[in-house]
Amino acid sequence: MNIRFINQKEKKKMLDVLKEQFGIQELPYALVETGKEKIRAFSGSITEKQIKKISELANLEIVGIYLLKQERIGDLRLSFDATHLLKSQISKSIIEINEEQLNKWMHGNDLELNLPKGTYVISHESDFLGCGKSNGKILFNYVPKDRRLKSKL
Amino acid sequence: MPYKYEMKPLFRERLQKLMPDPVDFEKFEQIIHTGPRNFIRCNTIKISPSELLQRLQKKWNVVQPYPNHPEIMLITSDLAPGELGNSIEHLLGYYYIQEVSSMMSVLALDPKPGDLVLDLCASPGSKTTQIAAKMQNQGTLLANDLKMDRIMILSANLERCGVTNNIVTRNDAIALCSRFSKAGIRFDKILLDAPCSGEGTLRSSPKTFLMWNENFIKKLSNQQKKLLAFALKCLKKGGTLVYSTCTHAPEEDESVINFALERFPIKIETIKLPLKCREGITEWKDEQFSKDVQKSCRIYPQDNDSEGFFIAKLTLLEEIK
Repeated sequence: MNIRFINQKEKKKMLDVLKEQFGIQELPYALVETGKEKIRAFSGSITEKQIKKISELANLEIVGIYLLKQERIGDLRLSFDATHLLKSQISKSIIEINEEQLNKWMHGNDLELNLPKGTYVISHESDFLGCGKSNGKILFNYVPKDRRLKSKL
Repeated sequence: MPYKYEMKPLFRERLQKLMPDPVDFEKFEQIIHTGPRNFIRCNTIKISPSELLQRLQKKWNVVQPYPNHPEIMLITSDLAPGELGNSIEHLLGYYYIQEVSSMMSVLALDPKPGDLVLDLCASPGSKTTQIAAKMQNQGTLLANDLKMDRIMILSANLERCGVTNNIVTRNDAIALCSRFSKAGIRFDKILLDAPCSGEGTLRSSPKTFLMWNENFIKKLSNQQKKLLAFALKCLKKGGTLVYSTCTHAPEEDESVINFALERFPIKIETIKLPLKCREGITEWKDEQFSKDVQKSCRIYPQDNDSEGFFIAKLTLLEEIK
């Protein structure tokens, strides 16, 4: 696994975007880039140097949790689990869905919703259910396949 | 009425030696032909036991059988196949489907926030996610397994459970410990939940009745001894290693612990668990074990209406060079 630690300057840039997009104020994690513009968050106590030492001794496969993907400059899409991880901080771009929409969403379906174009965090009551992207008429579903309901709709 | 699967004669003979009381053995034989109960573990990284209980009680009958461990929950409703794994709470990582006896090794290990912990044979991740929850995502948890398909399953479970303090490696456990030991990397706590013959999982995997083979047990025993010897080399002085298996075979349990007690500066600790445990045995076939091995814990299905398990907790007295 090729990993690159995100430096403070890059982290600040990301945080600025997350602040603008979702109101997130802090990321108390070390951030690691692991390819395909995917960023992972690590809360462990060992240092970058120690992780690098481990990577010299072992086949390092994963560090921390998948946090976000950089879609393009100024647009970050939080992962399904990151929306839960940061739920206490997310204050902007939240779409609260109803029971029926929840069922559709968790089956992996897009939702027909008239929303301004952009990336949204989906919530239902206290549950945070990942991000969706709107083209103005449809909110596209990004629930990972293995996290979808498998029963019939 | 005959059972769907029968024990091979040698398997029966060995188990009868371990459970010489005929009434006890009959209880054992009856229970291993029934399906396991539906235990789940609340993932306290994402939700509190009281919140989860409140949610789940809207769809199922749920009880918390162990007052000091509210995270352990038992679903007593009749469930459709796959129902537990297809609930929204499961998909959101609010609980992990885990048999109660398999939760015991992490309770014995007792990981704390801030510890540096190694889970050597981690996949599919039931115990790894339990360790992370106990650590409250602080400290560092290094989870290792051998093959990529197993790493994928482990990774999916770590993500679902919101684990953030993890590093996952894909290595042969012995080679990994050897390299770590030479490089001076030492852990506060190690879980060695060793690959085993699975005699304890007859209720959930009845195919074990058919696959059981004494030669395989002997082969596994040698591997387990080697694994434990190398794992101990990665432990800090005063550090804790929990060795566990889901088998009743003494060659894979007490014999492995006895081997380590004879060769390394370790002591075996008494374990207090919420399940009924029987003490480790001190002789098997032509082998005599140290009396200390009695401190290990045998979990039998008929004692707890659970699967079978074996746990031993070791403390390292002097760092091994």
